[in-house]
Amino acid sequence: MHLVDRLLATDRRIIYLLVGLGALIPLLIPIGLPVTVTPPVRSAFEKIESLPAGSVVVISFDYGPSTAPENDPQAGAVMRHCFARGIRVVGMALYPLGGLSVAVEEINKVAAEFPVTYGVDYVNLGYKDGAQAAMRRMNEDLHELFPRDASGRPIGELLLMQEVRSLKDTDLVFSFATGIIGEWWINLVNAQFGTPVAVGSTAVGTPKYYAYLKAGQAVGLLGGLKGASEYERLLSDHYPDVARIYESPLLYTATQGMDIQTIVHLVIIALVLAGNILYFTSRIMRRSSPGGRRA
Amino acid sequence: MPDIGTWVGAFLSLAILTFLYRDNPFFRFAESLFAGVALGYYIGNQTNQTIKPNLVLALARDFSANWDLIFAGLLGIGLYFRYIQKVAWLARVPLGIYVGYYVGVTLMQKLHGEVLPQMKDTILPLSAPGLAAVWNILMVVGVFSVLLYFFFSLEHRGALGVASRVGILFVMVSFGAAFGYTVMGRVSLLIGRLNFLVNDWLRPLIRAVF
Repeated sequence: MHLVDRLLATDRRIIYLLVGLGALIPLLIPIGLPVTVTPPVRSAFEKIESLPAGSVVVISFDYGPSTAPENDPQAGAVMRHCFARGIRVVGMALYPLGGLSVAVEEINKVAAEFPVTYGVDYVNLGYKDGAQAAMRRMNEDLHELFPRDASGRPIGELLLMQEVRSLKDTDLVFSFATGIIGEWWINLVNAQFGTPVAVGSTAVGTPKYYAYLKAGQAVGLLGGLKGASEYERLLSDHYPDVARIYESPLLYTATQGMDIQTIVHLVIIALVLAGNILYFTSRIMRRSSPGGRRA
Repeated sequence: MPDIGTWVGAFLSLAILTFLYRDNPFFRFAESLFAGVALGYYIGNQTNQTIKPNLVLALARDFSANWDLIFAGLLGIGLYFRYIQKVAWLARVPLGIYVGYYVGVTLMQKLHGEVLPQMKDTILPLSAPGLAAVWNILMVVGVFSVLLYFFFSLEHRGALGVASRVGILFVMVSFGAAFGYTVMGRVSLLIGRLNFLVNDWLRPLIRAVF
């Protein structure tokens, strides 16, 4: 068998290995590639910058552990921004498979980095089923929908929730979403009740959110790990205290992830190019061989 | 030293990754365990976060104010009648109510929150200043040509054929963007798993041993 044909018949496991090494090496030896900020992320950042201290932002954890590597850094960055500005956070989860777990983990982790008090500066209302029906109810009465918080405490006892009776008492909804729940926040809550909505979506879901962003239905968009890394960049540039948090070697950041992402993308591009070059070389060789033309 | 949860997570992650080599009992064990745990989690989550606070505790705390919740509870139970052959037909009642409710909500939601704003955003001035005009023209040409590509009542020949061929180019660009994002998303998940294996499991293990 000719070398070109042998390369074309490369075992797919070799390709897995190359992609794996492309991910592993920059994880062990970080490169620190620069991050440039795109308008959709800047728009989300500026929306939160425009809110005065004491405003209320709903952070909806509409994802589970399956997409946590993308959505966790987004949610973490936006919550750090809120706490750094003295903005109060109402956390909730509408995604059934793990939304509550990621909400509890992420809210507790970020809150521990700031001098904030549960029930005063932030709350975690927990999970509620029936996303669209729940969203409709939120605009009327959050207390009826969430009689107790994630840990089972009546929310009427929480100082923050005594002020926040419904979505009308909030200034922004930020949904971190896998699948369609982020779209529902836009085309139901924003469209029918007028509450501004921003979305942190998985990369897979990002293209469809551009249509909402362009139409002015969403005030900002963080697309996948890249969006999270851009938000981290903006936060680090504007808030030195938050920059120090991101410098901690124990914290996994989207910025570190983008180093790896870039190298893996280069490996994939190289493989696509090599595959095409080998394919066309093989075709040319077959046509010019004494056996005549073959498909 | 990594805790027991990290060890379990690392073992299951590696078990799932072994499928890249070939199908094997470790992969099938991890896959089945995941399906079972996910179902258990779902049931526990629904019970503790929705049924208990919004139905059981609400009725127990103030029955006279919340008595109407009994109907919601009965509708939920009614869905399970399908497993009892003699009264299986009763399950259609709650199902019909749920379908009716969500059709009503979704219809308005789609029209009011998606179709109309997106249509409005497509009606663009073609004589805008500078580069905006180029983007607006591109947007309008894209929308019309893609709509014509999906118009199947006439054969795609002549002017319609040309327009639909332009339309398919826009569709392909859209698929390309979506695929690029999909690759990025999948790589992000790989990074997340490798980060867990290296930074949460291997590094503390190496530090503890050496």
